[in-house]
Amino acid sequence: MCRASIHDYTALAKGRRKDFRCVLPTVIFANSLFNRRVISIAISSQKGGVGKTTLSINLAHAFARAGLNTLLVDADPQGSVGLSLTRQSRLLAGFYDFLADPSIPMERLMIPTRLETFALVAAGQASDYEAGNSSSGSHLARVRAFLHNAASRRYDICLIDTAAGLFGVTNDIISSADAVIIPQQAEPLGIRSVPKLLEGLNRLRITNPRLNVLGVCLTMIQHGLAESTEAASALRQLLPEEMLFQTAIPRDEIFIRASAKGLPVGVLEDGRGAGTVFDSLRAEVQAKLARSRGASTYQPH
Amino acid sequence: MDPVNPWLDPSEVRHLAEQLLRPVAPVRLSAADHGFDESFVGFTSGGVVHVVPEVKMTVEPPPLSAAPVSPPTPEPPPYPPSHILFLQRIHIFRDWLAKNFQATDIFILDREGKVIFDESGHGRLHFMARNLAIASRGSGNIHVKIGPAAILELIPCETPYGHIVLGALVPNALPVGHVQTITESLIQTASPA
Repeated sequence: MCRASIHDYTALAKGRRKDFRCVLPTVIFANSLFNRRVISIAISSQKGGVGKTTLSINLAHAFARAGLNTLLVDADPQGSVGLSLTRQSRLLAGFYDFLADPSIPMERLMIPTRLETFALVAAGQASDYEAGNSSSGSHLARVRAFLHNAASRRYDICLIDTAAGLFGVTNDIISSADAVIIPQQAEPLGIRSVPKLLEGLNRLRITNPRLNVLGVCLTMIQHGLAESTEAASALRQLLPEEMLFQTAIPRDEIFIRASAKGLPVGVLEDGRGAGTVFDSLRAEVQAKLARSRGASTYQPH
Repeated sequence: MDPVNPWLDPSEVRHLAEQLLRPVAPVRLSAADHGFDESFVGFTSGGVVHVVPEVKMTVEPPPLSAAPVSPPTPEPPPYPPSHILFLQRIHIFRDWLAKNFQATDIFILDREGKVIFDESGHGRLHFMARNLAIASRGSGNIHVKIGPAAILELIPCETPYGHIVLGALVPNALPVGHVQTITESLIQTASPA
C-alpha cells in the first residue's frame, strides 16, 4: 500500500464524529441503494477552470464523511486533485500509470487518508500523463479494468475528476462510468458552451446507454455580481429542472484557503458552512441515483 | 442585455437536455438489419465477454494443378464532374461500392473518429471501427467477422482532406486487389476538383 504523506486533515475530521450520527439514516439508505456495488461518477465539463476539482474533492469528502467508502480518482492530466491534497503527488504512481501498465496493482495506486472511508488515486507519472490527448476509445478497456478493480476493493463510490473537454481519456471515462455530474461556472461565456457539452454527452450515450446524466451543478456563483447571478438564472430557465442541481457552489475565498492547506473545505474550522453545501449536493446526488433506479420514463414539461 | 439567450438556441439546448434525461432505447439487433447475431461478443453489454474457445487453424495444401484464382476487379466508379459537391461525390462512390461489392451500411469517419458519411445509423459500429482503426494504425485494411454473413471491412485511407476510414459490411472479406481499387477510388472521390 502506498503511504504517501497526506495533509493531516483527517485529524480535524476526527473531531467531528458526531456528523456520522446525524447522517446515519442516509448511510443506511445509501448502502442499500448501492448494494455494495461501486457507483462511478465522472465529474466533467466542456470548459476548464469551472471548479471541477474543488467540487470533486469536497463532494468525495462529503460522501466519505457520510460513511461511504469513497475513492477519488484524479484523471485530469494537470493532476489538480493530487496537487491539492498530497505533497508528493509528483512522485506517486497513479491513474495514467495504470492506463499505461494495467499490471500495476491497485494497492500501489491507492493513497489512504486518515479518514478511513476516503482514499485517493493521483493522476500519475506515465508519459500519456502530460499529453492527455489520446484518441477516444484507445483506453476504454483499461479504464473499465480500473473501475472493475475499484469495485473489487469494496468501494461504494468512485468519483473521477476528469480533464476538461469531451475527448480522449475523458470520453473513455464517461463511456465507462455509471453517471456524470457537470460543474458549470455561473458566467455567460461558460454557459454558452452548454450546447456543445450536451451534444457531446448525447453522443457518448450511444456507447454508454446506461450513463445517468445527474445534472449540471452551478459553481463559482458570485452573488454580488449581476452577470453571475443573471447567467445562473438564465441557465435555470434554459434547462429542464431535473437537469440542474438545486445546490449551487458559491465563489468563496475559503476554497482557496482550503486548497492552500491541502484540505477539503469541510474540515477547516470555519468551513462548516461550505461543507454543508457539499453535504447538500451529496444528498441530491444520492436522491437522483435512487430515482434513476426506480425511474421508468422522463416526462418533459 | 440577456447574457445567454442571444448566443444559443434555447429550444435546441432544451431538446438536447431532455434527450439526456430520457432512457436510451435499447439497440435492436436483427439479422435483417445488420447481420449480427447473438454470438457477436463485441456488442455484449455488462462488461462480461464470454471468451470463445480458440479454434485450431488448419492449413490445407493448395491443389497442385489449380492456378491462383483472383476475382475480377471491378471498374472504378465514373470520375465525378468537378462541379458537384463533396457529399454528392461520396454518394456516387457509395453506389459503386454497393453495386460492385455487395457492400451495405457504408460509413466514413474522419481522423478524429467523427462521422462524415453514414448510412448504417449504428453508433456502435462506428465505435468499433474507431477502436480497430486506432489499434491497427498504419497496417492497412482490417476486416472482422461480426455475423454469419457479415464482415466489417475497414479501409483507412490518406486523402487530400486528411486521414479517413471507410467502413462497410460485406458478405466476404475483400481481396487485396479490391481493397486497392476501393482505396484509389476513395482518394479520387475525396480529392478536390
